[in-house]
Amino acid sequence: MQVYLWLKAFHIAAATIWISGLVVAGLAVAGRLSRAGIWATQDTLYLDAIRRWDRSVTLPAMLLTWALGIAMAMQAGWFSSYWLMIKLTIVGALLALHGMLSGTLRRQERGADRPATVLRYAAPATIVGVVTIAILVVTKPF
Amino acid sequence: MIAISNPTDELGQLRRMRLVSVVEGCTLLILVFVAVPIKHLGGHAIATTIMGPIHGMAFLLYIWTLMQTVSGADFPRADVIRMMVAAFIPFGAFHNARTLRKRQILLAST
Repeated sequence: MQVYLWLKAFHIAAATIWISGLVVAGLAVAGRLSRAGIWATQDTLYLDAIRRWDRSVTLPAMLLTWALGIAMAMQAGWFSSYWLMIKLTIVGALLALHGMLSGTLRRQERGADRPATVLRYAAPATIVGVVTIAILVVTKPF
Repeated sequence: MIAISNPTDELGQLRRMRLVSVVEGCTLLILVFVAVPIKHLGGHAIATTIMGPIHGMAFLLYIWTLMQTVSGADFPRADVIRMMVAAFIPFGAFHNARTLRKRQILLAST
């Protein structure tokens, strides 16, 4: 099988793991926001599990997604395509969002104050980003 | 004054941020001062073909770690902007590392 297809297969697998971790982190932060300051022991245990997952699975998956994506784009010569530039902008925003969520979870585990309200929309924003990326990658409109 | 409820966790985070900052800074220097001259003066494009993606990955890890660090603690907005901008400037990362070290020392003393 061509190298490109292997890269593509692992890129999609890594991206799926990354995005699922991102949605879980987004929902955890949104859940913390809806608790309005009530902080139970179970919450801390739950957040600890999500943080460990984030560190050991979601972050490596994100790095692998980027590395394989760059390798694919170089092999296919897509770096001059507009659709890829738009995709990279969206994926860059998802990367920044992931960093924010990861930091917020770290802060929340310490029992800090309420997270930034804008993070309530992290999970839906991730889904919108992923759908947009899927359309761009499949149709390659420009 | 830095008030953190778990200084050990925060000190570890600052250490990681410094390490990533130095790695990002080193890959940028190698790209700009070694790989690019080799490409344009020596005619060997392979140097940037290798160093470009390596620096790209280091830069992405830097942005991720920066977002994680500043979201997990109270950082002045000016420091955040300065650390963002420094990632694009050769030697800027080493200035960042110094800023982070100062914060580490301040935190360790509280």
